[in-house]
Amino acid sequence: MTLFQATGLQKRFGSRVVLENITLGIEEGTVHGIMGPNGAGKTTCFHLLTGHHAPDAGSIVFAGQDIAGLPPHRIARLGVARSFQIMNLFDDTVVIENVMLALPAFKAQTGRIFGNGFADRRLIDSALEVLDMVGLAGSAWSKTKSLSYGDRRALEIAVALAAEPRIVFLDEPTSGLGVEATRALAALIRRLRTRFTICLIEHDMRFLFGLADRISVIHWGQVITEGTPAELMANKWVARSSLKEAV
Amino acid sequence: MTSMLEVRGLRKIYRRGLIDRTPTFQLSADFTIDEPAIVGMMGPNGSGKTTLFELVTGSNAPTEGEVLVQGRNIHKVRTDQRDRLAIHYHQSYQVRHFRSFTPNLLLDAAGSAYPVVHLFDEPQFNTQDGYIGFMLDFFRKLRAQGRLVFLCVHPNEKFHLEIIEEICERFIFVQNGTVTTLDTFDALLTHDPARAYLGTLLPEARP
Repeated sequence: MTLFQATGLQKRFGSRVVLENITLGIEEGTVHGIMGPNGAGKTTCFHLLTGHHAPDAGSIVFAGQDIAGLPPHRIARLGVARSFQIMNLFDDTVVIENVMLALPAFKAQTGRIFGNGFADRRLIDSALEVLDMVGLAGSAWSKTKSLSYGDRRALEIAVALAAEPRIVFLDEPTSGLGVEATRALAALIRRLRTRFTICLIEHDMRFLFGLADRISVIHWGQVITEGTPAELMANKWVARSSLKEAV
Repeated sequence: MTSMLEVRGLRKIYRRGLIDRTPTFQLSADFTIDEPAIVGMMGPNGSGKTTLFELVTGSNAPTEGEVLVQGRNIHKVRTDQRDRLAIHYHQSYQVRHFRSFTPNLLLDAAGSAYPVVHLFDEPQFNTQDGYIGFMLDFFRKLRAQGRLVFLCVHPNEKFHLEIIEEICERFIFVQNGTVTTLDTFDALLTHDPARAYLGTLLPEARP
C-alpha cells in the first residue's frame, strides 16, 4: 500500500525555482531513499514532505489525507516524524529526558497541574523502550552531551520515534559520521524497518544502495529516475563509476 | 503538422552602447526541429550558446525573428508561463527571470503544463558518482514523452564525447554567433570548426 504520495510538487523562492516537479510514492513498511547531487533540491524536498515548507503547487497525500500546506505540528500528530540535519537535542539533560519530552503521553501530562511526567514510572518505561529500539537503553541516565556523535544521531532518531509515527523521515543521517558509526546506523535502520516506514534523504549513495528498497534520484528539482538499487546499479554508467566497487 | 521548435530568422545584436551603435556581438539562427529529439549543442566559449538558449526560452528578447515552440511564439507568451513551454536548466539551481514591456494580461497563455523544450546547460558529467547514467535516462525519458531535449556540452575528456555519441541524435554547432545544424555524429566530426574545437578529443582513425 502506498502510505505517502507526493505529486507534482513545486517550490519557488522568488525567481529561484528549487523544485520543479517532484512525484514520488512511498510504500508502507519499506525504506525509501531520496538521493541527488549537491544543489539538486534534496533538503527543500524534505522540508516540503514533512510540512516545514508549503509547496507552491502539487499535492501530498499521507494515509489517504491531503497534508500539503498543513502546519508541521498537525502533520507530526498524524504520524509523520522527521529528524534534522543539524542535531536538536537538549545538552544539559540526561539522555532519557530527550525522549520523554517527545512522548505523546508526556505532552498530555504537562497539561495537568499535579502531573509530573518525570516521576511517572510508565512514562519512564515507554522512554526506555524507545531507547532500547535504538540501542541506547544502557545510556539512558548519562548526560546527553557525553554521547558520541553516532549515539547522538541514534538519540535523535529515538526522539523522532517517541512520537509513535507511521513514517520517519531522516535527513542525511550519515552526515558527519565516521565509517564505524555509519555502519552502526545502517544496522539500526535495518532493525527499525520492521516497525516503521522510513524515508532517507542521503548524499551517500553507498549507504542508500545497501539499505533502501526503492530509490528516487533527484536532480534539477525533479525525480530523474527511480528504481530498486539493483535496477539503478544495472545502468552502465553506474557500473563504470566508483560506486560499483563500493557496494 | 506543427514543428516542435522553429527558429525563424532569429538575430540578436549586442551593441557597444546607446550612442555608439557599433555591434559587439551578433548571433544568427535559422533552423527547424520537427520531431522529438535529443540535440547536442557545442561551441567555444563566447560563441553564443547561452544567448541562443535564452532566446529559445524567452528570457532574452531577439533583435529580429521569432521562436515558435509547438507553433507558439514564446516571446508573446505570458512571462509567468514561458517556462511551461521551454525550460533552461542551469548547472544546479534554477533562476528564471523574464522581462517584457507588454503586460501579461495582453500576452498569450502557454497552453502546456509541462515544458515541451528542455535545455540543459553544461550538466556536470562526472564518472565517479554514477549520476551520468541517471541523467541520460532522464533525457531519454523526456524524449520518449515526446519532448525536445537540448544538451549543451563542453567536452574536455574523451568520455564526454562518448556520452554525446551515445545520447544525441543531431547536433548544433555554434561558432562566432553562427549556428550550424548537423544531422549525425559523423557530420559533426567532419564539420571543420567542430574538428578544430574538439582537437585532441577526436577519434583518431575515423574515415
